[in-house]
Amino acid sequence: MKLRILTSIITLIFLISACKKTEIIPGADYQQLLSDLSYNVILETYKDLFDNTQLLLESLESLKSNQNEVNLELARQAWRNARDPWEQSEGFLFGPVDQKGLDPSIDSWPVNQTDLDAVLKSSNTLSRTYIDGLDGTLKGFHTIEYLLFGENGSKKIDAFTPREFEYLTGCSESLHGATEALYFSWKQDKQNFISNVINAGKAGNNIYPSQKSALEELMTGMITITDEVANGKINDPFSQLNINLEESRFSRNSKKDFADNIRSVKNIYNGNYKNLAGKGLTEIIYSKNPNLDSKIRVQIDEAITGIENIQGTFTDAIFNAKQSVIDAQNRVRALQLTLESEALPIISNL
Amino acid sequence: MKLKSYLMYLLFLLSVSSCKQDTAEPTEDEDVNLGGSTTVNVSFINTFQQPANNLTASEIDLHRDGDKAFGDIFVTAPSVVNSGLGPIFNQNSCENCHVANGKSPFPSSPSELRGLLVRLSLPGKDNNGGPLEVPGFGGQLQTKATYGKQAEASLSWKEIEEIKSYLDGEKYSLRKFEFDIYNSYIPWPSNVLTSARIAPAVIGLGLFEAISASDIIGFADPTDLDGDGISGRPNYVWNDQTQQKELGRFGWKAGQPTLLQQTAAAYNNDMGITSPYFPKENFLQQIQYDKLIDDPEIDEATLKAATFYTQSLAVPKRRNAANPDVKKGKALFSKLKCRACHRPNFTTGQHPEFPFLSLQTIYPYTDLLLHDMGDGLADNRPDFEASGNEWRTPPLWGIGLTNIVGGHSNFLHDGRARNLEEAIMWHGGEAEKSKEAFGKLPKSERESLIKFLESL
Repeated sequence: MKLRILTSIITLIFLISACKKTEIIPGADYQQLLSDLSYNVILETYKDLFDNTQLLLESLESLKSNQNEVNLELARQAWRNARDPWEQSEGFLFGPVDQKGLDPSIDSWPVNQTDLDAVLKSSNTLSRTYIDGLDGTLKGFHTIEYLLFGENGSKKIDAFTPREFEYLTGCSESLHGATEALYFSWKQDKQNFISNVINAGKAGNNIYPSQKSALEELMTGMITITDEVANGKINDPFSQLNINLEESRFSRNSKKDFADNIRSVKNIYNGNYKNLAGKGLTEIIYSKNPNLDSKIRVQIDEAITGIENIQGTFTDAIFNAKQSVIDAQNRVRALQLTLESEALPIISNL
Repeated sequence: MKLKSYLMYLLFLLSVSSCKQDTAEPTEDEDVNLGGSTTVNVSFINTFQQPANNLTASEIDLHRDGDKAFGDIFVTAPSVVNSGLGPIFNQNSCENCHVANGKSPFPSSPSELRGLLVRLSLPGKDNNGGPLEVPGFGGQLQTKATYGKQAEASLSWKEIEEIKSYLDGEKYSLRKFEFDIYNSYIPWPSNVLTSARIAPAVIGLGLFEAISASDIIGFADPTDLDGDGISGRPNYVWNDQTQQKELGRFGWKAGQPTLLQQTAAAYNNDMGITSPYFPKENFLQQIQYDKLIDDPEIDEATLKAATFYTQSLAVPKRRNAANPDVKKGKALFSKLKCRACHRPNFTTGQHPEFPFLSLQTIYPYTDLLLHDMGDGLADNRPDFEASGNEWRTPPLWGIGLTNIVGGHSNFLHDGRARNLEEAIMWHGGEAEKSKEAFGKLPKSERESLIKFLESL
């Protein structure tokens, strides 16, 4: 009798623990996490992009009205400020940004310098409508960058032509339009793409059949951008010693671009953006493997500081400070490997 | 010791039996791993951008190089980077048509021609048995040009709707396009044959290359010997490398024999980029020829990397295969003889270069053969052996992810169908009976069949 009772108790305990994994995980609800990430990180980043491209437009209009070095520097700073949220959005490069063809209008690279010169020499009206109709390589961030900073990043105010000022304002108006389309496509009171992510797994959700699939999208996006920074953006110019392959060379903003890409990863992982705090992927990883969570947090920060510690400009460093480039690259690769081989499997096994 | 063993045994038995309901996977069909070992088990927007699941480390590196090449944006020559766009072209990079590697939607307006192009030819055949190029225009209409050059022509269309009914009275509407080519840079010849095409999804293509030709040809029934109303003919097309006719596998009419040639042709025709395989500009015959000595504009390594990218993209796993409705739909798919053309499975042979594609049991739901699809779908433009009524059966793997990946549900060669039901109801010719049978099904069964397609 005693034996039977003991057996039953042990059995019960064993069963509860044995079944724990399968009973609790399917019931876990990540809606709050998905909602926090969507509202606090994704939507806010796109809102900043929208707001800051408006400020860029205003600064370029000021520059056109009052052409002086002070306004030129203000416009350049406005370009950098608009660039920040874009680079911080590249960790979640999925959905409308591709599907609506917005990425090419915002961030096409390289600049079609041959055609741009020809357009500037023409007598066409350089309105937003005209520029909207041009290929992506004649508009967006890099075209504005090229005109604003010049080939060597040191263009003086007296080197600008009247047509270039015209083009800059038309082009930034076009850029602002594209960022508006992107922001509004996500915004809940506009086209409301955000609801697909928040309501992942709910009946009628045509994009994400489960919350897991939305979480996998986010984790895969983080991996993709670390891969691109380490093995594309840093590696292409560095391995070929070719400054023409460096993306934000004119503005000497490449290091900031790369670091902001990793900040994009950090924002999604931690669930924070600027002063907004919420749940992030860290919560899931921490609950499964606290050591891994610490490792990822450390590796994210190490990747960012590694990039910031590249000596001088990136253009210069690929020739003269190679070890600092290698260090940064290795740190980003280490983060990529951890996300790919340790964090993604946790999400995939939810 | 004995007691301990007894307890352990008892616990083991109990735990296994009581947890079984929670842990056991639902019974799935055998065809969930649509792309064999290349299959990835994910379902999100960037699903079609995943590398095959069975690549080696060095293949992953090559895939990454290919990914970059596929995304490279070209600009007007001269340029220190990505030089040589056009001067006449359809798009400036691979991925600007194959967005997220999925099927392109029909464009929202003629000013946004992303993902749509028009093939051209004159009646007759060229020396290799292929479509006869149109003097001054070639085999494809380039609707864009670099600054100062003139596009070959502009393209617009009007939509024509026809309201129809299923047997149960429910109405549906079929949309088709009437294209207008105007504003051509030289007078437009009166007898040009045209065929509008939408950029297809590019997943799993390497597996098609690995299927042995005899396996595809063996399934053909050109004279319909079995009398089922369905023939199935191989296309034989020109291979520029081997300088002979070979089995066509790629494109809406199976007009290309290899992915290398398909890719090189797309660089050349769609972007105006010359490569070692197509070193002549697509506007060579035009008065606008730039006479620049800069060809080839991409090297062999770049071309091969971009090709490898399309060879090594994963096919996604089926979803909801065990759902009763999906299973019912699958049974209907067989009953209605859809699978007579949408052949469920192949086992690939040995791929000459990449073992990860070899000996894979795959479920593409295509026979890769040409079928007469009726006058309604006909483009009336022959392409090698393919008549104006024939199309290569398109694969169905990944079709259920079209909306997720691309944010749209446009199907068929020119994107005319706005959902899978319309795509089915456009079938004709050899598929007429299957189409009619679908139209006679009660609504619940039509929905089951669609659910099956959505599970692919």
